[in-house]
Parts: sequence; structure tokens; C-alpha cells
Amino acid sequence: MSAAKGVGDQSKTGPVKDAKPLKSAMAAAQHQKEWFKNAQERVRAGEPFCLANADTPHEIFLAMDDIPIVMMQWWSAIISAKQLSGYYFDRMGDKGYQKNVCRYCALPLACAIEQDPEHEPWGGLPKPTLLLAQLSCDVHTKVFELLARAYNCHFFPFEYPAPAPSYPRWWERLEDDWEEVIGSHVLDLRVEETKALIRYLEVSTGRQFSHKTLLEIMELENEQEEYFKKIRNLIAETRPCPVSLRDQLAATMNLQWHRGTQWAVDHTRMFYEEVKEKADKGEAVCKDEKIRLMWIGRGLWHNTAFYQYFEEKYGAVFTNSMYLSIAADGYIRHHHGDPLRALASRHIYMGYCLRDPEWQLNEAKRYGVNGAVMIVASNCIDSVGNMFIKMVLEQGGVPVLPIYADVVDAREWKDEEIKAQVSQFIEERCMP
Amino acid sequence: MGPLETMKKHYEQRDVAAQKWKKQGGKVVGYVSDDCPEEMILAAGLFPFRISGDPASGTAETDKYTESFYDPSVRSILNMLLTGKYDFLDYLVIPHASDSILKLYHQLWWIHRVDPSKQFPPLHLFDIVHTRFWQTGQYVRDQVRALKEKLEEWSGKEITASALARAITIGNENKALLKQVAALRASEPAHLSGVEALQIIGSSMVMLKEEHNKLLSQFLKGASQLPAQEGVRLFIEGSDLDNSQFYELVESCDATIVGENSSWGNRYSDDPVDPSGDPFEAIAERYHLRPSRPRIQSIEQRVAYCVRSALEAKAQGVIFFLYEWDPAPSWDQPDQAKALEDKGIPSLSFNMQKYAMSDRDRETLKKDVKQFVASLSKKKKH
Repeated sequence: MSAAKGVGDQSKTGPVKDAKPLKSAMAAAQHQKEWFKNAQERVRAGEPFCLANADTPHEIFLAMDDIPIVMMQWWSAIISAKQLSGYYFDRMGDKGYQKNVCRYCALPLACAIEQDPEHEPWGGLPKPTLLLAQLSCDVHTKVFELLARAYNCHFFPFEYPAPAPSYPRWWERLEDDWEEVIGSHVLDLRVEETKALIRYLEVSTGRQFSHKTLLEIMELENEQEEYFKKIRNLIAETRPCPVSLRDQLAATMNLQWHRGTQWAVDHTRMFYEEVKEKADKGEAVCKDEKIRLMWIGRGLWHNTAFYQYFEEKYGAVFTNSMYLSIAADGYIRHHHGDPLRALASRHIYMGYCLRDPEWQLNEAKRYGVNGAVMIVASNCIDSVGNMFIKMVLEQGGVPVLPIYADVVDAREWKDEEIKAQVSQFIEERCMP
Repeated sequence: MGPLETMKKHYEQRDVAAQKWKKQGGKVVGYVSDDCPEEMILAAGLFPFRISGDPASGTAETDKYTESFYDPSVRSILNMLLTGKYDFLDYLVIPHASDSILKLYHQLWWIHRVDPSKQFPPLHLFDIVHTRFWQTGQYVRDQVRALKEKLEEWSGKEITASALARAITIGNENKALLKQVAALRASEPAHLSGVEALQIIGSSMVMLKEEHNKLLSQFLKGASQLPAQEGVRLFIEGSDLDNSQFYELVESCDATIVGENSSWGNRYSDDPVDPSGDPFEAIAERYHLRPSRPRIQSIEQRVAYCVRSALEAKAQGVIFFLYEWDPAPSWDQPDQAKALEDKGIPSLSFNMQKYAMSDRDRETLKKDVKQFVASLSKKKKH
């Protein structure tokens, strides 16, 4: 694809930016750092520690006197943000693994195999005593087996029963009708597995699972996610967009890692109040917002500054991504007296929901975007199906540009080329 | 036509038996992968037909709807479904055998959603899931029950325990006969080429089993007359190969393929169904517990299976052949190669291979295979 005209030559003359970093985003990032440091100390002192995939119920660990748990995908993003992914993937290659291994999930493995905490970000990941994932991808079996070998600990797998191709407008039903949307036979299995996990943790850690605490956690989570919904709705309806995608990502994810705590509720409320204040004052990412764009796919962790380029060049603002939207639409559960079952329904198909083309179209309409940029990682099976997102959005009147790159591996990121592609897309398909 | 030629014909023209069945008024159920209980389809009075891709068929229609980076044999199957190559199928069962195969199930739904003019046979998902835990077994048992109900709906008749028991007996007989075929390859010298073995085994999945059993019995009666295969003995590991193009290439280089870890090869006849007790329970147990599914087996299990099979086949070397975008087996490869080396078995690895080989691909592969075979011949002489 040829470069669009004027790439890089308007950055100084583009629309005036009016974005100050969100205090809540900075506070959340700082809290996460402190939490991690504290977790390192606790694990050093002999506490158990779990490394888990993001679509697993960390609430269980919270309800067991707060066993520290870190999400693989967060750790992957941190390694990537520290520009270390290239180093680690090269080491994987040296050990005979194929060049096109899955990146997002394999990066923590690459790090673990090296066993060099001093090279790792933030002083290194504590040594897990348990690994947890649902087998939503063939490669998880392999990656977690190798991780268990590297850390000499157990891997607890959850099954991944096949989701139905689509449940019409699930985002309007999940909060209450989760049993129907997810399916009873699937929930039966997941509840049994969750009980087995609890028993395993009780036996292996000597800690007691607290049903009462789980109930409290579920209530706190609902409260927190209601704030996310208010934030999402506010950003979607406010013109010009009051919060940059970079800030949205940082605040949302760091707050989500602590969901189910009073701290998370308080700081998500702070996030909401801050967004509200910005909206009320008319503060904006770009005062002269001309184009609204949606980001489809995972956050570009090795280069979150990428989004800003188009703000400055075109007044094109990335208004939304899946992270805040799924917080609003995918987490809240009214448990109807069965918190464990409601919890099971929260995580099992979260990944599948994120890639539902109908939901993506609904979000595109909600935010009133002029176009969507969709990142496609060819090393990840989760990206298969993105073409349906493109087709459904375009049938719905929203042009989509797929860009082929990885969100954690900076080695293959071609900054100028991709900026040129997006520029051309904005000029030719998004400008009114 | 002799039994070997007949089986070869059915391997090369895979729809012949199914088309004949249809002409006689029967119904054909297509299924994907060896994770579908074909015994149940047979017991329902339907024709079980394992569908496969075809490297010669291209992917032009698939490319319109899906990404290029997942199991290329599944992409090829989708292309064949989209271009009418499988129009003779009355129904289709898709097991949750791998990510790519599950994607196929979802893709058929979404293709119809974005283009309602595209029609496919009625589908059923057999959700076999992953682990060998007891709890998972309960889930698989429910899936067997759901499949039974669906097949009964399609056939209009009940699947009785006795009908299923009979289908299991026929299927087990087929597996036992195929193990005798495997023994012909494991003998020194081998008495069957790898290409012939693929034709024999593959034809079993596109013919009625009773008929295939008759052909196998006839073939095995004359096995003592089969010529010796003198090539260097090789074992193939990696992706499931639903066609013989790579085998033809390898065996044109003074080599004989004496075994493989593939559901289109020797692995197909592993793990017969337990014929004692309730046949539905036996089916559930077999499809839940059988250990040789590569995409869900642990690396440790895959290493053990590869080494054991290569040793049993008395292979002098192992070639890894991994399709592009078939990641699960590629994660096993470094450990498998190391374990083989520890047993004194050298290996050669072809990663990121195309499903449809170009002439250039063939040339490159052939050069490397020849070199590998020559090194093994030299080693043997020493």
C-alpha cells in the first residue's frame, strides 16, 4: 500500500490537544506497582501465588484471604511496554520454537524459561505456586505445561466448552439472564470445576474459602462495573471525546485487576467523577475533533502513544476499545443467591463475547465512530473470525481497516507503514 | 481390481462410496477429524464420511470470509463446502477437536449471517472438550447423548444398544486389521510403502466399514507376496496430513515411511472401543479418554508417543512436517526432537509448510530429504 500524502507533516499544525493525563489513571497505575511490590514481598515470605489467564475467576483467590494473583496478559503487557519482548522471543527462537509462536500468551513463558529476574520488569515475577487457565486455545495446554515445568508448580486447567456461534444481544441480558445466555450444561461443568479449584486451594494453602466474602466481592464488583458502565456511556455520548484511549486503557485495566475490592470501587468512582468533570467542562482529547475511531482488538501495549499521532494529524480520536466496553457490558452479575454460578458465567465466554461482531457493531454505533481500526495478530487463533467483524461493521455502515501486527512483539511493528495505512484509511474512508 | 487398487481408488476419489449410497436412497453424514464417534453414525443407519481438504482445490472462496492463518486443511475443507464439493452430504457433525475445527463450526454460522445465500448441511457440534478428568468425562457423556438424539432425529430411527454394539464390533475389527497393516510396515524389510498405507487407512474413513474390512482381509491374505521396500526407514511426525503429497515426495528419495503420528495414518487404529458393557458408555469413554489427540495431549505425552511409535516402527530417522498455522504440534517439536536424539534417532524438521506445495516447495523439500536420507544411509553402513 502506498503511503498517504503528508504523513508526519501535520503534527505541529493539527488540532489543539486539550488532554491532561487522568489522575485516576495515574493513581491506578501507581497502586498496581505498589500492589506488585507488596505481592513480591508476600511471596518471598512464603505466601502462595497464582499466575493465571485473564479469563479466570480471580475472585476465588480474593475470597481466600487475598491470595496474590497476577494475570498472564497483564504481565505480557508489562514486559512488552518495557520493550523486552524482542529479547525474550529471540531466546525462544534459540531454543528451537517456531518463529510464529503465539506471542501474547507465550511472552511470560519466554520470560520464565530465561529465569533471570534481574532482567525482568519490576524486579521479576514472583515464582508461582499455581497456574490457572481455561483451555480456550489449543496452545494453552502447551504453554502452561512448559510454565509449570519452568516454575515447578501445578497447572489447574478449566475446560472450555464450545460457545454457541451467537446469542442475540447478549449484552442486554447477561446481568440477569446469564443462565440462559451461557447455558446450564456449560455452567454445571464450570461450577464443578470451580468447586474443585477451591478444594485444591484449601488443601494446598491451608486457607479457608469464605462464601460470605465472595458475596461481598460480587456486590463490590457490580458496584464498580456500574461505574464503568456510566463512564462508557458518558464517553460514548460526549462530543468531543473527553478521555484519550491511552488513559482509558491504563485506568480501566489497572482498576479491573483489583475488582471486588473497596479500593477498586472508590477509584473507579474517582475515574467516573474525573471523566464527568472533563465532560462538563468541555475538556477534550482534541478540541477540534473531526473523526471518531474505534480500536478493535487488544491494546497496542508496546506503543500506546500510537493513538495520539492521529489526534494531532487529523483530529482523529480513538474513542473506544473493548476494555471499557466489556467492563460495562460483560461483568455485572446479579447472582440470584448463587454467587459461584454467577461467577462462572462471568468468565467462561468473556473472550468470545469480546469478538462478537454484533456487539462490536453495537459499540461502534453507540460511540458514533466514523471508522474502526482492527489489529490482527496472525500468530493468535483468537484473531481468526475478525473478518466477520469487518463484514458486519461494514454492512452496518462502519468502515474497517485491519492492520496486521502483534500487540506485544515490537519487532514486527512497522510504525511508518502502519501510520500511512491508517492515514490513508482516515482520508479516504472516514472523513465526511 | 484387487483389494489394494480398490482402496487406492476410494482414497483418491473419496466420495465414490458415499455417492453410491446416496443413489440407493441412503443418507450421508460428513464429519471432521477422528474425534467424532463414527460408530454412532453407522448405528443410526447413516453413512459416516470423514471429510478432508484437498490441496488442489485452492482457497479462493474461503479467502473471502476468513483469515489465512489457521489450520490450512480446515481452510481447505471450508473452501470445498463453499464450492459445492460436499453437496452430497445430508448432515455434518463437527467435533470440538481443535481451535480451527471449532472455528469452522462458527464460520459456517457467520458466513450464513453475512451472506444468507450461502447454505450448508444441517450441523451438529460434538463438544468433546479437552482434558481427561473425570468431571470432563461426565460432560462428554452428555455430549454423546446429545449426538445420539441428533442422529436419531436425522435418521428417523432409534439407535439401539445392539445396533451400536454391532457398529463397535465392525469398527474394532477394522482397527485390528489396520494394526496388521501397520505390522507390515514395521517388519524388516517393510512390505508396504507409506503412500499405500495412507491409501489403505484413509479409504477406511470414506467407505462402509464392513466393505473395507472385507477388502482388508483379502489384502492381508496376500500380504506375504508383497515386495520388500528397501528404502531408508522414516517416521513422520507433526501435522495431520490428509493427503499423500509429502509421502510421495519423501518416498521418491530412496526412503520408505514406516509409520506416523497422524489421525490419517497409524494412529487412526489406536484405542479400540471397549466391547464389554454399555456401548454408549464405551463410546463416551473411548472418545474422552483415548490419549493420542495431539492438540490436547501434553508435550510429555506427545514425546512419549512419538519416541515409542518411531522405535516400534524401527525408524532410522524422523521427519517433522508442520503446516503453517498449525501451532499446537509445533510446541511439541523441540522436546520430541531432543528425546529422539537421546535414543539415537536423528530428525529433520520442516516448519511452516504450505498445504498446497508449489514446484519450488517440492524442489527445496526434496533436496533436504535426499540429504537427510543420504546421511542416514551412510550412518547405517557405518
